[in-house]
Amino acid sequence: MQASRARLFKELKEVQREKSADPDIKLICDDSNIFKWTALIKGPTETPYEGGVFQLAFAVPEQYPLQPPQVRFLTKIFHPNVHFKTGEICLDILKNAWSPAWTLQSVCRAIIALMAHPEADSPLNCDSGNLLRSGDNRGFNSMARMYTRLAAMPKKS
Amino acid sequence: MNGDEKETSESSPLRLDLDPCPICLRPVNEEAFLDECFHKFCYSCIAQWMKIVSGKSKSSHQPSTLRCPMCKRESSCIIHSYDGRSFKKHYVNDCYEDRSFFSSSHKQRLQCYYSEPGSFEDVIDVLRYWKFNKYSQPSRWLEGWMTREIQALLQEEDVEIIVHHILGVIDSFSKRGEEQRRRQTSAPEAKRSEFKTLVSNAARPFLTARTDRFVHELELFLASGLSIQGYDEVYLQHMSQKAEEQPQSSTAPIPFLHIFDDDSDGPG
Repeated sequence: MQASRARLFKELKEVQREKSADPDIKLICDDSNIFKWTALIKGPTETPYEGGVFQLAFAVPEQYPLQPPQVRFLTKIFHPNVHFKTGEICLDILKNAWSPAWTLQSVCRAIIALMAHPEADSPLNCDSGNLLRSGDNRGFNSMARMYTRLAAMPKKS
Repeated sequence: MNGDEKETSESSPLRLDLDPCPICLRPVNEEAFLDECFHKFCYSCIAQWMKIVSGKSKSSHQPSTLRCPMCKRESSCIIHSYDGRSFKKHYVNDCYEDRSFFSSSHKQRLQCYYSEPGSFEDVIDVLRYWKFNKYSQPSRWLEGWMTREIQALLQEEDVEIIVHHILGVIDSFSKRGEEQRRRQTSAPEAKRSEFKTLVSNAARPFLTARTDRFVHELELFLASGLSIQGYDEVYLQHMSQKAEEQPQSSTAPIPFLHIFDDDSDGPG
């Protein structure tokens, strides 16, 4: 508990110090609870998520960093490895491939990489996975693009 | 501390901050390295991670390697306590505290070996043991005691062969001693040093640097004539008493000094 708190404070300091280090990620710690974080990540370029800003919710366990944080999308996203309703993410480093050398910041980077490289063979969103597996990239892109516009981009008045 | 040292110690927090432990993100405390990739961590951080990883594997077979959190290379041990000349190795499946055979009394005995040989010999009259030829009367607790002792020292469960080897040496020594006693040929001091040499030679290939202390503890145990449990109790009592007495450094006689009452004398 004490160790996880100390480490999260370190990460918080690092995030505040290097605000401009990674322009694609903005990590925000809850005002009253260091174990609750949110992140805003930019959709990677040359993907249907480009131009969108996606919100992630982190719940950090007391055994962190010996155990991985729980992360889910708060922003709706059409992606084979993200549950369409709950925002749950299927990513090995958040499960058995976790290493204590990962940080919240590097987890965000891993999620951005996952957005750019979907794994259609282990889908949480079967519709999205099936489009990619059947080779319908155009169909997949237009669905993903539509949801990015709907949920991850500012509404045009 | 001279000026130079002060300067380096002042600049060191900054320097350490650039190379923190990847697990706690703080300056490395008690440097430890994985033996394949030499990535550096706090000893406690990487040991804790190793415990998590080996606890996770569901099969009864414990993993014998640890994947580096930084580079994923598999290492078989953590190198730590490097002081410029020597270092210690903590093997991946060597979480002896988790093993079933390693009881709290094993741990206590191991701690005894890590502490200075104290004034416990004041409590146990070793010379009396030799003078009255106690060694000719074998202790029936010796095998159990020695098994635990060597298990603790080697942190290994199966020590049967070593125990039997040393017991055999002691046994033949006792038998020879019995004959010599009948012929009244040997002085107690000579017997004592002969015993120590014999046991040392038998134990040294296994216990190496710990041998002399082991022989010392063995002699104390034999001279006490106590059971394993009784010996542990007397030892603990003595240690706590010593801790209390330390400030006054009193040397008052302790009631259980006279472990050998005359009625227990002589071979049964």
